[in-house]
Amino acid sequence: MSCQFRRIEVIFLLFSSIPFLYYFLPVVLLLYYLAPYKLKNTVILISSLAFYAFGEPRFVLIMILNILLGYIFGILIEAFHQRKWDKLFLGLSLCTSLGMLGYFKYADFFILNFNRLTGLGIPLLRIALPVGISFYTFQLLSYTIDVYRGRVKAQKNFILLATYIASFPQLIAGPIVRYADIEPQLTKRVYSIDKLALGIRRFVLGLSKKVLLANSLGELCEIFKASKDLSILFFWLYAVSFTLHIYFDFSGYSDMAIGLGKMLGFDFPENFNYPYISSSITQFWRRWHISLGSWFRDYLYIPLGGNRVSSSKWLFNIFLVWFATGLWHGASWNFILWGLLYGLLLVIEKQGLYRLLERSKIGSHIYVMLFVTLGFVLFNAADLKEAATDLGAMFGLKGYPLFSAEFWYYLRSYSVTLIISALAATPLFSKLVASLNNRKYGALLTKIAEPVLLVALLLVNTAYLVDGSFNPFLYFRF
Amino acid sequence: MKLHPKNRIILFIMALLLFVTFLTCLFRQPDAYSMTERRKLAQFPKFSVNSFLSGEFMKEFETYTLDQFPLRDSFRTLKAMTSFYIFHQADCNGIYLAKGYASQLEYPLNEEMLLNASDKFSDIYETYLKDTDAKLYFSIVPDKNYFLAAPNGYLSMDYDYLISTMRDAVPYMEYIDLLPYLSIEDYYKTDTHWRQECILDVAEALLLAMNPMNQSISNMDNSNDSNVTNSIVNAQSPVSPVISQEYTVNTLATPFYGVYYGHSALPLSADTLYYLTSDAMSQYIVTSYSSGKPIRKPLYDMEKAYGKDAYEMFLSGSEALLTIENPNAATTKELVVFRDSFASSLAPLLASDYAKITLIDIRYMQSSAINQFVSFKDQDVLFLYSTLLLNNSTSLR
Repeated sequence: MSCQFRRIEVIFLLFSSIPFLYYFLPVVLLLYYLAPYKLKNTVILISSLAFYAFGEPRFVLIMILNILLGYIFGILIEAFHQRKWDKLFLGLSLCTSLGMLGYFKYADFFILNFNRLTGLGIPLLRIALPVGISFYTFQLLSYTIDVYRGRVKAQKNFILLATYIASFPQLIAGPIVRYADIEPQLTKRVYSIDKLALGIRRFVLGLSKKVLLANSLGELCEIFKASKDLSILFFWLYAVSFTLHIYFDFSGYSDMAIGLGKMLGFDFPENFNYPYISSSITQFWRRWHISLGSWFRDYLYIPLGGNRVSSSKWLFNIFLVWFATGLWHGASWNFILWGLLYGLLLVIEKQGLYRLLERSKIGSHIYVMLFVTLGFVLFNAADLKEAATDLGAMFGLKGYPLFSAEFWYYLRSYSVTLIISALAATPLFSKLVASLNNRKYGALLTKIAEPVLLVALLLVNTAYLVDGSFNPFLYFRF
Repeated sequence: MKLHPKNRIILFIMALLLFVTFLTCLFRQPDAYSMTERRKLAQFPKFSVNSFLSGEFMKEFETYTLDQFPLRDSFRTLKAMTSFYIFHQADCNGIYLAKGYASQLEYPLNEEMLLNASDKFSDIYETYLKDTDAKLYFSIVPDKNYFLAAPNGYLSMDYDYLISTMRDAVPYMEYIDLLPYLSIEDYYKTDTHWRQECILDVAEALLLAMNPMNQSISNMDNSNDSNVTNSIVNAQSPVSPVISQEYTVNTLATPFYGVYYGHSALPLSADTLYYLTSDAMSQYIVTSYSSGKPIRKPLYDMEKAYGKDAYEMFLSGSEALLTIENPNAATTKELVVFRDSFASSLAPLLASDYAKITLIDIRYMQSSAINQFVSFKDQDVLFLYSTLLLNNSTSLR
């Protein structure tokens, strides 16, 4: 199964779960708003540690150790800035943070490939991966690098730094928040009923994207993976479903994180901006997982020289960044190839394809969606062999019939979900609401309808969760 | 920033919903059992340092929160209705509705399971039956999907293939085809099983084929089905050309909500459960050996009729080994039935023509232990299994 590697059963407090919604969240919000202003960050920190400990208590210490090292190195980098030792401490900070990430996430991958290359049989370590380590490591790195660059001052208050790194809304799956963006909010946040309501609205919409769309599409992908009645069109149905699934899964989670942030008075950066309406891959990556893309741009691509270098160095930079992007998603060659595929497409676009794409809106969308869809088939494969099989089957190279009984059945069964998902992946609904708001009676209608709709959505989402429906989450392991 | 009254409303309603639910979750008395889902509900897990560190406590706590959520059944119904009527999903958790019947997708056909079942039957044949004078019969009860799935666009097993595979796998048994005697109307709308009042012709077909009374029956055709149904509707006693007794149709006083009612969580109309009685039946002696000792049981267990699953009223539901003795039988012939739950409502109709029927359910007893209770000589032996069981035969022991 393709997802066995990433879906090792780990219990943690998903936002889209009954324990989070109806136990954790009410308690935390109550404590948070009852706590005096100076204790609010402590409430966030303690509740975040409890949130993290819910599934993996042993990894709380790993996270605290990471934060502690970041805290110490941040202070040392700043303190020794004049004496030029800051580079040493930055190096140590990078080594410890990336070292821990490497140990937990990539050790077995390197051992496996080393064994393959050398014929040795070094046993695998089979280490469990701490949830969210890729996200909080990148946040820590952005902090120490920005201290080194002099963009931010080192945080002397450990609780504030720990609150930045560990705050539960963005701890598990981002957005990857920069310390520079959040630092003023750690000490001074704006609270208002409007902001709280905005947070609730964003959270419920994210929850709906996750529970009603992503989970349903994920279920279809699981059905496909278990099917013995495969066909070419069933492979395409799977590819489209997974493409929509991963978008609603991750963007829904990001919406929930941003909404929770607002409930606590924070303004987190946006992570998605309708990536599937992009007319080029360049644009797609400005709209997809924005916080990760901009992180690699600012902390890897630009320090390497960006595009202000020779052509060969630039090519090297591009492929290194996309190799790293792929590897960040998982310790597997299919992730690396997935990243490199985008590197290649971006290079081709920059060499002239981009200008061609501007000539045809439809053609450019087809091109983007085709490669994004094929890319996600590669992304979701367990290994390169499965990826080759899936991609080959989509183009009729594996001897499958054009369609099968199961294809027709599941196409019929999921057609409404697929149509709603496809429409919801565009700005259509938000444009409709905006258009209504610009009309006298339309605005009145949305004012009345919005609270009703939000309550209805929360109840339906609760119903889906209570029924114990399929509820995985892909990105928490990355 | 301008304060929108809409935002106040959103905040008020959501906070109310969140906190009231939280307090209800916290203080409500946990339920022990779900009648609709027919299962025990998770209770608050025991806390220990080990269970906490291993994550087991949290896992069990999450299950507890789902099982004990306030208005759980109503939320399940809301989910099912959203799936069916908003997202137009063809099935919800594998349950679909067609022609007013709820059924569970039985797909795909699992050849390994068929092989497992036929191997189990062959083991029993080789161990107990091969060197006896027993007459061996085999019959398959189609599940509701046979009538509902394919014609209504749902995924359907290849039933012809299933039946022919099973027939070929047990050539030492004579196959009795029940398909001509069954239609979807012979099944409950909310349950897996067939309706006892509608399967007199099935009983007739079996008795005719096994012929315990050594009778020569002629002029029997499928039109009996409609006669039987009519007689039920009119609450009169159907008279069978084979089954030489008259039945009274009795109606269970409470509505019957079958297994799919709970599984689907949809607001389905209840079935009415009928059961047949006769003077002869009142003389039947039913004995259960499931506990190892003989225990008298009623033919129709009225306590179970008003319990969690009314269909269990027929021969007390799940029983590993049970006998029905007919002291007034005109024959000394005995029948041994290897069976699943479909036989519970059928066996009382077969008992008229046998002195004794032994019902063996090898889901609940090891087949290697059968000889402790039954010695095979010259009985009629019927293997009567539903397609559901054959396609999911791991429970056969």
